[in-house]
Amino acid sequence: MSDLYLSHLPQWLMRSPPAEWAIKQLRELVIGALSQGPVPQHIAFEMDGNRRYARSHKIETIEGHNLGFEALARVLEICYKCGVKVVTVYAFSIENYNRPKYEVDGLMQLAKVKLEQLMLHGEVLDRYGASVRVLGQRDLIRPDVLEVVDQIVDSTKHNTDCIFNICFPYTSREEITTAIRTTVEEYSTAAPPHSTPFSETRITKKLLSQRHERVEEPTDTRETSPCPSSPRSEDVEDSIASSTTLHPGAESPTTRAGSDMNRTVYKNAESITAETIDGNMYTAGCPPLDLFIRTSGVVRLSDFMLWQCHQDTSIVFLKCFWPEFDLWHFIPVLLEWQWQQKRKQRDEKPRRRMKQL
Amino acid sequence: MMALGSREAEILRRDGKQEHKLLTPEQRLKLIDPYLPAPKAKIAQVEPRSRFGVRRLLRTGLHVLLYTIIHTIFSLYIKLRIAYHAVLDRIYSVVYYHHHTPELIERDVKGLSRLPKHLSVILSLEDNGRGGAELERLVSEAAEIAAWCASAGIPRLSIYEKTGILKGYHAETHRAVVRKLAAYFGPNYPALSVNAPHTPSIETPGGTLPLSRSSSSSSLSSSVETTQRHLSITLLAAEDGRDSIVDLTKTLAEMAQRGKISPSDISIDLVDAELNESVMSEPDLLILFSPSVELQGYPPWQIRLTEIFHVPDNQEVGYQVFYRALASFAKAQMRFGR
Repeated sequence: MSDLYLSHLPQWLMRSPPAEWAIKQLRELVIGALSQGPVPQHIAFEMDGNRRYARSHKIETIEGHNLGFEALARVLEICYKCGVKVVTVYAFSIENYNRPKYEVDGLMQLAKVKLEQLMLHGEVLDRYGASVRVLGQRDLIRPDVLEVVDQIVDSTKHNTDCIFNICFPYTSREEITTAIRTTVEEYSTAAPPHSTPFSETRITKKLLSQRHERVEEPTDTRETSPCPSSPRSEDVEDSIASSTTLHPGAESPTTRAGSDMNRTVYKNAESITAETIDGNMYTAGCPPLDLFIRTSGVVRLSDFMLWQCHQDTSIVFLKCFWPEFDLWHFIPVLLEWQWQQKRKQRDEKPRRRMKQL
Repeated sequence: MMALGSREAEILRRDGKQEHKLLTPEQRLKLIDPYLPAPKAKIAQVEPRSRFGVRRLLRTGLHVLLYTIIHTIFSLYIKLRIAYHAVLDRIYSVVYYHHHTPELIERDVKGLSRLPKHLSVILSLEDNGRGGAELERLVSEAAEIAAWCASAGIPRLSIYEKTGILKGYHAETHRAVVRKLAAYFGPNYPALSVNAPHTPSIETPGGTLPLSRSSSSSSLSSSVETTQRHLSITLLAAEDGRDSIVDLTKTLAEMAQRGKISPSDISIDLVDAELNESVMSEPDLLILFSPSVELQGYPPWQIRLTEIFHVPDNQEVGYQVFYRALASFAKAQMRFGR
């Protein structure tokens, strides 16, 4: 019996009001100190290990997710107090729909309840100046949950200090594919017709009649191709077929009229850049991802933020389960990031000097 | 919730279990209020008072001081850690060494439960590659890794180098790998093909000289045929990452403009098939030889489920890193001594 009390003693001590007050002060102090250095502008968390944590502690899976949510609230608090602008979390993967139905339903219910809670406490988010965004394939969300999602996104829109991205139901490949599709849509819908006093049909007719007056000479229609630098021969053929409006005699008048009507001006596809696609990602407008943290010792990205983290993002794999994640796990990661950042700056300086010379 | 005291957390947890019907929103907010940052209006109100200003100055000073102290300690810790890892890596590289003998590498990987079918590595160029020595180092590292893969029986290797210099010296790399394979395997070296996206591959048939003529030639040659190893190497650069996705988008946009496809035809499978075809398929394991994990523009589509291995604080391309990566991929326990 006394043994039991003894083992509880440290815990009891830690929970005593003065100890708690001291820990709170210490946390505030450490966060304040850390925010004096460079702080990552955008952090992504892959919150892995809720289920394994539950299993290893012999509690229900959904309880593990609950504890994971508490960890998330903790982490958000730390990040925003440090000065992180955007936090992106992987809440639910499209792949997760393959899990047992009761767990999917449980997760959905959890998300709904927590989001409802968060909304009731709009003030909490307002104090951090945080706006919530939900990234992912919306049509997969249950309608009643979607309603809550829309409400919370709407009610925090006015906050501009920081952003909380919830990836829900999300996979990175789906995101990239959607971005490609959106870009293609942008480039394959016609630009609005200019309002001009000159009629294109009249000009064409005029040109054609001039040509008919002259002796028929073979005209090189390739010049009118909208993409002159098309490398493949089949492309060239295609672009002639679809874009020329000055086919002398070859086409029947009706098709010519038709192509006149449909003659649409597209943006040049060659002007698509990585930035165009970047602007169509769910994370458009967010600063570049500085830090990617995955818990529970799995060393994969698992379809999360592939596009955002494959350049100069620091990727960190931690051994702890997500529900255990706290300031004390976060400090070493942040310190190392700050240290790396300082070293990078130091390395760049002499190089720049060399260039100037 | 947050960094709440245990009492508050307990109450909130109980509340949460009952679907948040225990407390009213006001009660909950009151509970967590001390842990939230002050409301903006309040800050604005208090700011003009000078006493607060002084206190804030003091607090900032304290934070800066603490920041400096923490980082001083941390850099000391990092130095110790680097030293510790250096010693550890040295021990590993003594215990696990290939001696340029395929049989030894084969013996090393024999105990592993699984091997990656497609291995990928990231090599990097120092100092922007000025001077031929850097290129030479890079090519010889690539050749060395290729020889390890061939010995371990990994059929596919992709080598990523950001600037593309390795791709540029495609033929030279191929020659260096052939030479290295010959040095490892002797006359019976494996077949090799080295390719890069959008360039034709350079192939070399393996050497099939029978080792001994005393044994019956027909059965020997057939067994040599069947055990003939083949290694295919893909050289990658930054342009095979984002740019390949951009190029694909351009092509798709042009096709959509010509009405050949509709945007709704673009699916994950289509993109996946195209990128697999023109760049490469998903590797099973990616080995970094850098001290920390940074992908340097590695093809994003292809690293979806790839296991990423690195040895913290490691700086060099060494066989021990390669072996430890394979062991961790096979979830094998690493022990010194075999």
